[in-house]
Amino acid sequence: MSRDATADDGSRATTDGDATTPRPATYYHLARAVLYREFLIFVRYPANAIGGIVVSLFFFGLLFYGGRLLAGQALTDSLEGIIVGYFLWTLSVGAYSSVSNDIGSEVQWGTLERHITTPFGFAPVALLKGVAKVVRTFLTSAVVLAVMLLLTGTWLSIDPLAVVVIAGLAITSVLGLGFAAGGVTVLYKRIGNWLNLLQFGFIVLISAPVFELPWTRVLPLAHGSALLQRAMVDGTRLWEFGPLELGLLVAVAVGYLAGGYLVFYYATRRARRLGVLGDY
Amino acid sequence: MAQRGATGQRQTGAGRVEAEGRDERTAAATPALAIEGISKQFGSGDDAVQAVDDVSLSVDRGSVVGLLGPNGAGKTTLVKSALGIVVPDAGTVRVFGTDVAEGRRAAYTDVDAMLEGARNDYWRLTVRENLRYFATIHGVDPNSVADRHEQLLERFDLATKADTAVRELSRGMKQKVSLASVLAGGAELVFLDEPTLGLDIESSRTLRSELRRLAREEGLTIVVSSHDMAVIEDICDRVVMMADGEVVADDTVAALLSGADRDSVRVTSAGIDDGVLARLRDRFEVARVETVDGRRRVEVGAGGDTLYELMDTLRAAGVTVEDIRTVQPELEEVFVDRTGMESGGGRSR
Repeated sequence: MSRDATADDGSRATTDGDATTPRPATYYHLARAVLYREFLIFVRYPANAIGGIVVSLFFFGLLFYGGRLLAGQALTDSLEGIIVGYFLWTLSVGAYSSVSNDIGSEVQWGTLERHITTPFGFAPVALLKGVAKVVRTFLTSAVVLAVMLLLTGTWLSIDPLAVVVIAGLAITSVLGLGFAAGGVTVLYKRIGNWLNLLQFGFIVLISAPVFELPWTRVLPLAHGSALLQRAMVDGTRLWEFGPLELGLLVAVAVGYLAGGYLVFYYATRRARRLGVLGDY
Repeated sequence: MAQRGATGQRQTGAGRVEAEGRDERTAAATPALAIEGISKQFGSGDDAVQAVDDVSLSVDRGSVVGLLGPNGAGKTTLVKSALGIVVPDAGTVRVFGTDVAEGRRAAYTDVDAMLEGARNDYWRLTVRENLRYFATIHGVDPNSVADRHEQLLERFDLATKADTAVRELSRGMKQKVSLASVLAGGAELVFLDEPTLGLDIESSRTLRSELRRLAREEGLTIVVSSHDMAVIEDICDRVVMMADGEVVADDTVAALLSGADRDSVRVTSAGIDDGVLARLRDRFEVARVETVDGRRRVEVGAGGDTLYELMDTLRAAGVTVEDIRTVQPELEEVFVDRTGMESGGGRSR
């Protein structure tokens, strides 16, 4: 006789003859567990997401109405660019702070130590959490973007494919910075507030003069920001970008993600050597 | 619970059955944990602290080993070295025969730990969700151990709270969730740091009983670190005492207690005045003097022939003995004798 049950995460469990034998979990099970956990926290505790949206819109309101008072027509002329830049900034801040703060929380809770003593280790869990944070940030930033457009009465060309691919790759580089910051937090603990200041540097990167100073394209966000402006303001489709432009976007994303991840990996290893991994 | 072969790799299904016969005897002989010459120093120069100094110990499968020592003795560093959370300066750690430096994934498949001073699990998830999550990251498909999770919930009196977020539970219940999540993945070797901290008497008793059952019936190997001597004495087969980064005693509880047998008796009488006490002190070792309900209770080092001498001395002094009984040594006394420190962490005076 067998009994089938539907688990919380929708997967099917069989408890017939062989079911009492533990089956090994694969990376698929790990991915499902990590992503499902992130999903549960997102839907159960929406206050963080709502708070982030409200704060983002508050600062945009200050920027928009304050700018109109001070700069008048000059602001209106560059409004589309400001909205796209602000959209990318909210995405970047969301991805960066959620990853770096999340690693800090795992250290504080002692769950990072538990992950270290598992067969999978913390590395794939951290990467999967990063993916979840990016998806979550896209959802909240999409709301911010929609309200900004309504508030200003502006219309942008929003091709979902181009926006998701370009913005996604642009903030992947920031994800790398988040991992690096998380690694530094693992080593030096309570410096999260200092590292959060880095997010204001994203404004500089997003508005980097990539045409006047082409080398700035290899910085995080800079090249992606330029492409996103063209996609959302000029209506350039994804396939209309040159292979070199897209190639550089991918290379910068992968490079910073890999670099940030290496920093996190070596910081964790050094923390284990120093015996400070779980100290908080 | 998953089975392991001699190689230390978790084996399931047909592969396990095939390998079982071949590996059974070798596997049984392989200790669950073998620590060889572990040393760890923190800091350098004048500030250097030798947390663990050339410690070796072996933990047999299915045994419950207690780790005792004052604060700063090196227990936590030793446990964290075994878990790979701290990288030792020297020495090797083998878990079910696998060197953790060579194969982390294989070595830690069946190991989990509950460390003191940490949440250990996710308070925003429910109890059941925590069990499923931690089973998965420990390499077990949670659906395949759903029945085990139900049993754990029942045994730890968490069944009615299974779908409650952990943050809403009391401290004692959180402690139980933490322990249940450690067992959720079917770990065969678990490290527990102060497992009864925050639990009321009844919960502590239930937990100790469950730990004994898991070791006896399911072959769980447990390394438990605690300041609570009652917990150690109650559940451990063997006790390892540490002080200043070194192992100062490593034996069964019974052997440690018998080794501390001091041939002492406790005599109670209203007739023991200061004069009698002075005479006793002249001839015997008087360890402790208390006054209870107007009667003197004196612990005297006497046994065998000296016990007759003691009785003669008391009789000669005109003392009527109201009660006399042999003093049973306690683990705490053994601990103080061996480490020279109080269990709470301070050096004894």
